[in-house]
Formats: sequence, structure tokens, C-alpha cells
Amino acid sequence: MNYDASLWLIFILLGLATTLPRAGFIVLGNRFSLPPTLQRALRYAPAAALAAIVVPDVLLVGGSVEPINPKLAAAIAAILVATRWRNPWLPFIVGMAVLLGLKAIFPS
Amino acid sequence: MQPSDFERHGFAAGMREGFVAFLPVSVGLIPWALVVGMAMTSAGFTPLQAMGMNIIVFAGTAQLGTLPLIVDNAPLWLIVTTGLALNLRFLIFSAGIAPGFRGIGTGWRWLCGHLLTDGSFAVCYDKLMQVDNPRWRLGFYLVTGVWTWLLWQTFTLAGIFAAGIVPKSWSLEFMATIALIVLLVPMAKARPMLVAAIVGGGSAVLLRSMPLRLGVVTAICLGIAAGFAAEHWQEKKTA
Repeated sequence: MNYDASLWLIFILLGLATTLPRAGFIVLGNRFSLPPTLQRALRYAPAAALAAIVVPDVLLVGGSVEPINPKLAAAIAAILVATRWRNPWLPFIVGMAVLLGLKAIFPS
Repeated sequence: MQPSDFERHGFAAGMREGFVAFLPVSVGLIPWALVVGMAMTSAGFTPLQAMGMNIIVFAGTAQLGTLPLIVDNAPLWLIVTTGLALNLRFLIFSAGIAPGFRGIGTGWRWLCGHLLTDGSFAVCYDKLMQVDNPRWRLGFYLVTGVWTWLLWQTFTLAGIFAAGIVPKSWSLEFMATIALIVLLVPMAKARPMLVAAIVGGGSAVLLRSMPLRLGVVTAICLGIAAGFAAEHWQEKKTA
């Protein structure tokens, strides 16, 4: 796959969308702060955003819901491992093993 | 030692203590950086593009989370909005840790802000609130930020080259999905957070045919609202 120069524009805008939230209040100091209610609501943004990316990725195959597919099985395995053990490598090893194992047994 | 000496040497002392406190935490960055490097290569980036993103964006979650959208040729505003949503936690960290930078100049504050990560926030927060000497605080904080930056760039580069020699049939791009799951699982241990994730993920699937991929942003907003509502409901129940 090839990307054109607009990829760098994406990087720069994403960089701003990272540095501004990070540095904003540190640079402003005590001059401005977020209302506490908004702060509490924003705590849910990362979990909601991560799930909004992961769930369609593992549940959809070619645009339709496919409850039995290797990616979903691998994701469930990774969730179970990450829930039980603190080892940072294990979810990757088990998740990839399930994915590649199922793909080898049931080639599509 | 004179108090003035202590002031002058505060920076180095802060750095030493910060490094000792941060080193064990920073090990957790390594698999994460490797995965982000591999994911960027699997997305079709050249090593230069991948390192460019890594240095300009410097945010693993936002990088991984926006990769599928970039690969899909999603509209620019959606990519940036999704990145922003994934970074909103930093707004809260930034607001929380801001008093720890009292007495430190604006230039340093920009640098410290740019280097703010989950790990630095977690390790530095208490110390920055308790210690008076601004040089000590700056040293303590900066060493965690600079060390994170160095580890991150080094191991992402390693991941970029590792992915280049692995055959395509190994589906390495799925490592990115697993990495996002690994981030999500500890978050979802709190009940309202789990509600936010289920509603966010479920609506993203249900709303997938909305035009311009508006479904993703709508799903994120619904997830935030659901989590917030669940928190209120939980409080009422326990009150």
C-alpha cells in the first residue's frame, strides 16, 4: 500500500491532538481548569473509543456480523488471559496462537 | 550542604530518584512499543513514515487506534476526532498534575506536557504535589518523560524492522487489536467503564452503515454518556 503526502498532514494533526490535551493545563497552570462534571464524563472517552474500534474489528467479517470467526475467538482468548494474568506478553502469544491455529485448521 | 547548594543540585537529585522509581514501570513499555512498530509496518508505512508518526504523534493508543482508519482511507476529520477521543484522558491527567509544575518556566512546561504519558503521570503525581523545590520536581518528572521517549523510539524501531522480516500470513496486524484489548481490559474492571465499553463497542457495530463513518464518533459519545449514567446510577444505589 502506498500513501501520499497527506499522510504527513494526518501525523501533524494527530500530533496536535496529542500534545495540546497533554500540555494544555500544565502550560496554563492555575489560570483555567475543567468543570468537575466534564472531567468525570471524559474519563469514559478512552474506554468507549477503544471498544468502538476493537469490537467492529473482531465482530465483522466483510461488513456483516459474524459471531463465529477466528478473530473473535482470538480476541476472547486475549481478554481471558489479560483478565487472569499480569504478564504483558501472554495475551499476544495466546491471541496470535488461537488466530493462526484456527486459520490453519479452517482455511477460508 | 548550604540550602543554595541544595537548590542548585536539586535537579540531579530529582533525576536520580525519578529514574529509580520509574525504571520498573518503564519495562511495560517494551512489548507495547514493539507492537506499535509492527502494526505501523503492517499498515503499509515505510520505516520513515512509521518513525515520522512515532516522533510527531508519540502516543501509542492514538497511533494504534487510528491505524485502521488510516488504512481504510477514512476522512481526515474522523481520524483526528478519534485520535482526540483516545487522548482525552491526557486532558484529565494534565489538569490533575498541573499544580506540580508551580515555579517552573513556560518552555519547560511545554516540554513536560509533550512528554506526559500514563506512566509518568502515575509515578510522578504524588511527588510533584509534595516536594517544594521546583528543580527537584523538574528533574524527577523529566527523567521519566525522556526515558519513556527513548525506550519508545528504540523499541518501536525494533518492531518496525521485526515486522519487515515476518511473512504476511502471520497476520501480525492483529497484534494491534490485541494491544488495544490489553489496554481496555484493566479499564473495564470498574462497572461504569465496562458499560461505556459495551455501549461504545455495540453501537459502533450497529451504526456501521452511517455515512462518512459517523458511526464511530456517535458510538464514542454514546459510550461516554452510558458510562457517566451508569456511574450516577451506581452512586444512587449505594447512597
